[in-house]
Amino acid sequence: MVISWLQAALLGLFACLASMPGMGGTSFGNYTLGRPLVGGLVCGLILGDLKLGILCGVAMQVVYIALVTPGGTVSADVRAISYIGIPLAMVAVKSQGLAASSPAAAGLATSMGTLVGTVGTVLFYGTATLNLAWQSYGWKAVEKGDFHKLYLVDWVLPWVSHILFSFIPTLIMCKLGATAVTAMKDALPMDGLAMKTLFTVGALLPCVGIAILVKQIVEKATDFIPFFVGFTLAASLGLNLVSAAVVSLIFAVITYELQIIKTRPVAQVAIDDDEEEEDI
Amino acid sequence: MADKKKISAKALSRSFHHWYYGNLTCFTQEHMQTFGYLTSMLPIVEDLYDNKEDQQRSMNTYTAFFNTEPQIGSLVVGITAGLEEARANGENVDDETINSLRAGLMGPLAGIGDSLIVGTLIPVLLGIALGLSNGGSPVGAIFYIVVWNLLAYFGMKFAYYKGYELGGKAVEFLVGPTGVALRKAIGTVGGMVIGAVAATWVSVKTSFELKNAAGKPFLQLQKQLDAVYPGMLTAAFIILCWWLMAKKKMSPIKVMLLLVVIAFVGVFIGFFNPNLKY
Repeated sequence: MVISWLQAALLGLFACLASMPGMGGTSFGNYTLGRPLVGGLVCGLILGDLKLGILCGVAMQVVYIALVTPGGTVSADVRAISYIGIPLAMVAVKSQGLAASSPAAAGLATSMGTLVGTVGTVLFYGTATLNLAWQSYGWKAVEKGDFHKLYLVDWVLPWVSHILFSFIPTLIMCKLGATAVTAMKDALPMDGLAMKTLFTVGALLPCVGIAILVKQIVEKATDFIPFFVGFTLAASLGLNLVSAAVVSLIFAVITYELQIIKTRPVAQVAIDDDEEEEDI
Repeated sequence: MADKKKISAKALSRSFHHWYYGNLTCFTQEHMQTFGYLTSMLPIVEDLYDNKEDQQRSMNTYTAFFNTEPQIGSLVVGITAGLEEARANGENVDDETINSLRAGLMGPLAGIGDSLIVGTLIPVLLGIALGLSNGGSPVGAIFYIVVWNLLAYFGMKFAYYKGYELGGKAVEFLVGPTGVALRKAIGTVGGMVIGAVAATWVSVKTSFELKNAAGKPFLQLQKQLDAVYPGMLTAAFIILCWWLMAKKKMSPIKVMLLLVVIAFVGVFIGFFNPNLKY
């Protein structure tokens, strides 16, 4: 599988849109185009192998299912994961001759994507730093009362940052990286220690993504219970995700009712609650 | 001018859309969402004030640092639009009123938005989408694109206009008893779905086995573990990662590096074997 300059350029354009902070905006850029699952769809369409693209995207999405960036600190860069990592993973899976839907392909994709995503944080800091120049231009405009320049600063000038830190790196990495990834096949045999480790890492990495989410929801030991009930529903009872979500709704209703009861005696806050409180 | 000034529907809509699109486009570590905020308030300010001095004064108000979870943050932009309207009508609203409100809301809303939207809603939608895309089908990705964007767009629009209409009262709902109960309930759904996502999509398996003299395995660890609790090894690794990050304060990148070491050692001693072949 080769990536042409045109294909690499298209991937570069999507990298500009999908970053955090991206030119596609937060909701459509970062949280839609930047998600590896959607990136897999886009890369699959651009590179002409939809199924492989989606499968690579699915594998990486699990790792990055909870990519929270509190206060602008990033541990991985979505443009690099989705528009450099996925294309290179697709090339790697093809050149290794793996079946697209095999666990080995998923493991390879995950390892590649995570590596590229971590290194890609450089791109995030590059973009954010160059944007300082546009902001200082913006401050001068505000001082002079030239407010319409703000649109230029917020919507147009950051494209320059993205051409430098999203478009060009993606273009070059996809174009040249594909050759390097193909060469990897001969350098590292599949039954060697290095490749075995790479695939095993791919299977282990999603644990980190899930653990980040667990960290968010767990404050005390009992908070683990919903997690394990969900885990059991899927692992032991074989429910799919939609079914598990439906089952969880009944617990949500119970939790809600209990919480409302718990807060009532303390009451006094909202005016609407007054009548109900008198009943107690 | 005896008439009360009212922001035109067109200016409100422009303001909302400027925020919806541009809240983070000119991001820097120094002024994260400040420029998104400025572009969002400009249509409001221009609509309310004709003379340059008032415009200048009001725009200067919004040059203060702003950063929160931008999607739930559209509520704050809506609230300040309402406050700016009050100021234009001569009510007692000054820079300090507006900026202390903005500063006071940033933190709590970021917490709610990060845990509710980024930490629960998006993972749940993605979890369902992953299931639909199983086997390489584009359906899951398309499902996520459509459902998420509808929710994000209309949710943000709702928050913006509620903020504008209700002002500070809009926040009371979020942090009040009903809001807390609702968040706990949503947290339960989030916890269970994440558990199901883990069991469905993460698979850590060991190839460790003990053989008898004839070379026949008499103990296959993976089978034993699954007989106790299906997916036990996967769950154990997730708990390990959680423990390292939550209790040992390790960064995700360090945990990932540790996993590389564990994988290498595990492959070396035969605990892990992905059974690769061409």
